[in-house]
Amino acid sequence: MRRLVPFAVLVGAVALLDGRLDGRFHVRVLTLAIVWALAGVAWNLMAKAGQISLGHSAFTGIGAYAFTMLLRSDADVSPWIGMAVGMGIAAFLALAVGLPTFRLKGFYFTLATISFPLILELLVAHNGDPELTVPFHPENEWRYMEFADAHTYVWIGLVMLVVALAISALIDVTSFGFALRAIRDNEVLARAVGIRTVAWKSAAFIISAALSAAMAVLWVKAVLRVTVAEEVFGITVVIVMLSVAFVGGVGRTWGPVVGAAFLIPLAMFLDDTIGESVPGAQELVYAAALVLVALLIPEGIVPAVERGWERLAGALFGSSPRGARVRGVLAPGPRPTPLLRIARRPPRRRIPSPPATPVLEVEGVAKSFGANQVLSDVTFRVQAGERLGLIGPNGAGKTTLFNIMTAHLRADAGRVLFKGVAIDRMRAPRRYELGISRTFQVPQGFHLMSPLDNVAVAAIGASVPHPMKASMAMLERVGLADLALAELSALTVAETKTLELARAMVSDPELLLLDEPLAGLNETERLRFFETVDDLVDPQTAIVVIEHSVRSLIRYVESVVALDEGRIIAEGPPEAVVSNPQVIKAYLGSKWMGHARDQ
Amino acid sequence: MIEFLQFLVPGILIGGVYALLASGLGLIFGVMRVVNFAQADFMMLAMYLSWAIFAGGVGLDPFLAAPLVFAAFFVGGMAVHWLFVRHVIGRRENHDAQVILTIGLGLIFQNLILIRYSSEPRVVAPSYANDGDFVGEIFISRVRLYAFLLSVVVAALLFLFLNRTRTGRAIRAASENWEAATYMGVDIGRTNLIAFGVGTALTAVGGSALVTFQSITPFVGLRFVVVMFAAVVLGGLGSVGGAFVGGVLIGIIQSVSQVWTSAAVKNVWVFGLFLLILYVRPNGLFGKVQRAI
Repeated sequence: MRRLVPFAVLVGAVALLDGRLDGRFHVRVLTLAIVWALAGVAWNLMAKAGQISLGHSAFTGIGAYAFTMLLRSDADVSPWIGMAVGMGIAAFLALAVGLPTFRLKGFYFTLATISFPLILELLVAHNGDPELTVPFHPENEWRYMEFADAHTYVWIGLVMLVVALAISALIDVTSFGFALRAIRDNEVLARAVGIRTVAWKSAAFIISAALSAAMAVLWVKAVLRVTVAEEVFGITVVIVMLSVAFVGGVGRTWGPVVGAAFLIPLAMFLDDTIGESVPGAQELVYAAALVLVALLIPEGIVPAVERGWERLAGALFGSSPRGARVRGVLAPGPRPTPLLRIARRPPRRRIPSPPATPVLEVEGVAKSFGANQVLSDVTFRVQAGERLGLIGPNGAGKTTLFNIMTAHLRADAGRVLFKGVAIDRMRAPRRYELGISRTFQVPQGFHLMSPLDNVAVAAIGASVPHPMKASMAMLERVGLADLALAELSALTVAETKTLELARAMVSDPELLLLDEPLAGLNETERLRFFETVDDLVDPQTAIVVIEHSVRSLIRYVESVVALDEGRIIAEGPPEAVVSNPQVIKAYLGSKWMGHARDQ
Repeated sequence: MIEFLQFLVPGILIGGVYALLASGLGLIFGVMRVVNFAQADFMMLAMYLSWAIFAGGVGLDPFLAAPLVFAAFFVGGMAVHWLFVRHVIGRRENHDAQVILTIGLGLIFQNLILIRYSSEPRVVAPSYANDGDFVGEIFISRVRLYAFLLSVVVAALLFLFLNRTRTGRAIRAASENWEAATYMGVDIGRTNLIAFGVGTALTAVGGSALVTFQSITPFVGLRFVVVMFAAVVLGGLGSVGGAFVGGVLIGIIQSVSQVWTSAAVKNVWVFGLFLLILYVRPNGLFGKVQRAI
């Protein structure tokens, strides 16, 4: 219900304004504010995943040209159908442009999007018509989207905007939104907990492109009245989208509406009053907005107001001790992110367990970084229910081995089998789905999310039936229920490690990889950690632990593999391995012998 | 064959200028990981400055005025860095802020120039603007040759600066690993400031080299921004030497494409190549391909 309030406010505000405005100019301002809010909402869908597109004018251009050309053709296609066709072409193109960059980290998506509208504009201007007039058909208003009353465009625009906002709001409260936020926050971790990042980014880009193409039809019909390549493919389209989205709140559903409500009237009134003498006044408004937002409130107005409100309410009603969040009447404290479940395919895609097959088989794995041979010919097995310790000096290749098992790195040679199936060619999300979970040496997290949501992303990635309930239950089992909605940064080291464990366990893994879980913990916390692990795991779960705290480790595991300079130097029962002279020489040191004798 | 050479030679000449334009962008990205979308507008501003010096009474030849332009934009670039850019570098969360800040700055430059000088194209035509010499059957334009030579000289000076001076070595260290550089006593704030100034000035001199055969409008930067990005990505993001090689290659491809397609779509080749490089060799021709599995 609470989420419907902004929709009602928007419709009410537009109705109020539309009723009072009658001058052509004022109606035009209102129409354009709606058009650009729509464009911003479309653009922002990609920003939810942290992807900044500078090429959305390719999609507006396609939308405008598709419907104009179809309308001008002998078939005399209605702009409504033209809009649908343009949306389809834009969606297809988005997939073609986006896909190759979605597997790359960093700036590449943004860079790739720059050249795309430029190519299209050049090709259209050179091989087609740089300018197309839209045929005038006053005889059938609805068929030709040709309304004598300018107010009708306001209402059509409002309907389109509401639809776009509804799509965006729906994304926010489904696993789609969780996936996009996870990607924006920490893409590597998102893949490690089963989020199919390429698929989700593609889906967001397709919807975003299609909505942009639809917006262009309205823009041309209601305002431009002629399709000009320079304009519909032009960089200004992107500038306005960026401005309204960033001013309102990047990635936020309602951000562009707020941004457009501020910027579009300001830019147009400036243009109307001083535009004659100052030709670049409109653009300067957008440019100044971008610079000011970048320097002052990079997250935008909507989140800034929300935080200001929380702080104010906190000052008035007292704030909770941790997380700096507020409980009170006006700001009723942090609430769990809503998650709307949509019935889907049966969840699990696990491999059946053949009897007597080891859970993990590492066969002759080798890896080098340049001239640095990190792993050579590493072979070992872990049976169901077995706990294996992996020890060795820093740089021995332990974490590299984990990274190869979880698809963060690719081995140069050798193979890894999980329950008898070679997994070397599977990507990280697939391996997680099969039942391989890990924690990280340097704890990883989605820092913009609550601990509950951190676990929920992993539950969604594993297609757990009721992700929110399962995540909350998991937090209760590990004793973090009180902190479910705290800020991630407010957690202690031990709590962070426990949260990592909860996140790894929510998928009910069959192979659990723990990378230095005890680092930074005191003696009591160390004992408690392994107790928690035992409490959570199934008896059939195989566990591999990398740990430098060898004394704690050997009490927990049943066998140990010792690595040095990428080779296995000893393996077997813990006592045998730690008294192996080679292991003592390479790793434990003679002090260890002293300790061992003392005990 | 001769037709091919007739396009190849001018391609190399203009490629030298692209190399200079791109080296500034590459230097700035290398040191502070900022993709500066305003870089092409620094070029535009430098073209207007060259024009003002040439047409505005002083009458100084743009090639001779290049050191003045360099000095002016070295100072100007440092000012822009100090006022704006330094507030959005460093943290990963600042990526979005960098993009919109530099886009916003570029737009402000464009529109201030539009307000001051209108959109009327400006031309700098020294007396030898249409001169040239035939080498065999290949015509070599005088102004383009000078532009190329200017680029070569600046490239040599840049090489000496980066390798032989303390500040230059600090810049190289910072671009390799700025964290390690700070441990070695490199003052990262000062290095960023100087690198931004030098990067801006390099692109600005590229603008002075262009001005004798490229008419100037407030939006001329838009025509070069992708050329610069393509050169930088082709050579490997963050590598100044790579940006030089990338620039020359882009010039050659753009020019030689005219053997097959019309001059009007020569940039389609550049933009298409840019996309292709991003897709198949995102770390440049000489870089290692790193993909998440």
